[in-house]
Amino acid sequence: MYGFIQILKQEIFCLFISPATYVSTFYFVSLIGICFRFFLEHFSGTNWILPPLSSLMVGLLFCSPGIIPFLTMRSFSEERKLGTLHVLMTAPVSPLALVLGKWVASLMLLFTIFGLTFCYPILTTLLFPTQSLFLEFDNLAQWASIMIFLFFYGASFTAIGIFSSTLTKNQMVSGMLTFTLISIYLAVMTFSYETAVNYNVSINAIEMIIAALHSTFNGLAKIDHFSMGLVDLKSVLHQLLVTIFFLFFSILRVERLRK
Amino acid sequence: MGFLGPNGAGKSTTLKILSGLIAADSGEAKVCGVDLAEEGGEVRHHIGFLSENNPLPEELRVVEYLSFRANLKGLRGSRKRDRIKFVLDACDLERRTAETKISSLSKGFRQRVGIADAMLAEPRLIILDEPTIGLDPVQTAITRKMMDRLRGEVSIILSSHILSEVEACCDRMIILSHGQIVAEGSLTELQDRFVDRIEFEVVANESRIILQKAINQIDDKCQLIQDYPIENTGKKRFLFRTEKDENQVMKILKVLVHSNDLSISEFKISKPDLEDIFLKATKYNWAAQDLLGRKRIKNVS
Repeated sequence: MYGFIQILKQEIFCLFISPATYVSTFYFVSLIGICFRFFLEHFSGTNWILPPLSSLMVGLLFCSPGIIPFLTMRSFSEERKLGTLHVLMTAPVSPLALVLGKWVASLMLLFTIFGLTFCYPILTTLLFPTQSLFLEFDNLAQWASIMIFLFFYGASFTAIGIFSSTLTKNQMVSGMLTFTLISIYLAVMTFSYETAVNYNVSINAIEMIIAALHSTFNGLAKIDHFSMGLVDLKSVLHQLLVTIFFLFFSILRVERLRK
Repeated sequence: MGFLGPNGAGKSTTLKILSGLIAADSGEAKVCGVDLAEEGGEVRHHIGFLSENNPLPEELRVVEYLSFRANLKGLRGSRKRDRIKFVLDACDLERRTAETKISSLSKGFRQRVGIADAMLAEPRLIILDEPTIGLDPVQTAITRKMMDRLRGEVSIILSSHILSEVEACCDRMIILSHGQIVAEGSLTELQDRFVDRIEFEVVANESRIILQKAINQIDDKCQLIQDYPIENTGKKRFLFRTEKDENQVMKILKVLVHSNDLSISEFKISKPDLEDIFLKATKYNWAAQDLLGRKRIKNVS
């Protein structure tokens, strides 16, 4: 892991001095703010049964394909295009440290952006304390579980972004690939959401495979638990495995660049 | 150590293997006694590498880049500060340049930043792949001066197409052709090995026939290969070639100087330069491997 801290510091520095980071953050945070305000205004008229704070979580989750490509597309693609990745590899740095450094940097920035959007419920609480009590914005368990949910989903999404970045020298292609992969992943999880899987009646092999696939892709199955302040370890493990899977292939890809 | 070879000879590939950037398909590569296949990471602690195009991160300032590279190479605290200061001085990167963004540096300054990076961690070996490519003569001279300053302090492998540069900067040379070492040694050793003829220039008042007759009495195989036009001073300049060694030429010189009938005003042995050796060494390899397909054509006919 030699060089991990140095790579991490450098990546954070480069992300913070890049104008693209600020522009994309501004638009993303503004968009989430507008949606959140619109949701709160019309909350009483909707049939949303989960706590209002969870709307922010769902909004961040489904809007993340729009921000993650901006955070990860330059990681390896630009370095490969400029040739600086080769220069980096002449230093005593392992591919593991390289991939983890870049991934942690983009995850930290993503979490900072998510953190900025949490200013909206905090502001609502400060400006409208009575209404906020009704909206349950003072429920710290909800805050904690939503943070944990977003952290692990952010981890897996940024890992997908880093993996896409190792595949091509073109930043645009890398960004589009990240967007597509995360969108497909979200779509699969959404379509698998609340699908009834009855293992007892699965008698043939095909049904068993479908059931197994459903349980594999059903990462959003316990989203309502997280909304109400409960942490579902199965979902956390699911995201952890997805993260490890994509980081592992990113490391292999970087290792392959040495051959 | 100069690293020479025609395009596609495998110079850059060899240097990339030595710097641990790519793995070798076969064979054994060792740097400072450490096997690259077994301890590639360890080797990277001992080398500084300047790659052919010297890619640098555009968004950083010179000093920020060097600081990042120093951190990666394990330099900390006062040692890091001292080394950065040292390499900035050694590469003539004054304070104003050190604070400049890399994107606004000229090609020459970027090369200096690359060399500064290569020198940063006091490596035992510095690998420079075409360090003066694309530089103007002034920048080339500055870069050569920098390399000269490192002479005796650190081992340098210099790959270049500019033969005069290698001739001026390197004590030893390796000539590669089609992935094989075709010549290795100091310039004198290479001259001895690859040059079987010596040329010498004589300036005299006598005619060509008299001079040639005198020389042929000592060496019957010595040929006149160039008879220059008569100079303004009335003197004549001739170029001779002999297949024998330098001792024979010195013998000719002695005879000419001591002869009462001849008036010699100048005598110069022109040694073959690296270009001749390079052409000859690579040509030998082409012939040995029948890269021009001549043997095949003969066999067919």
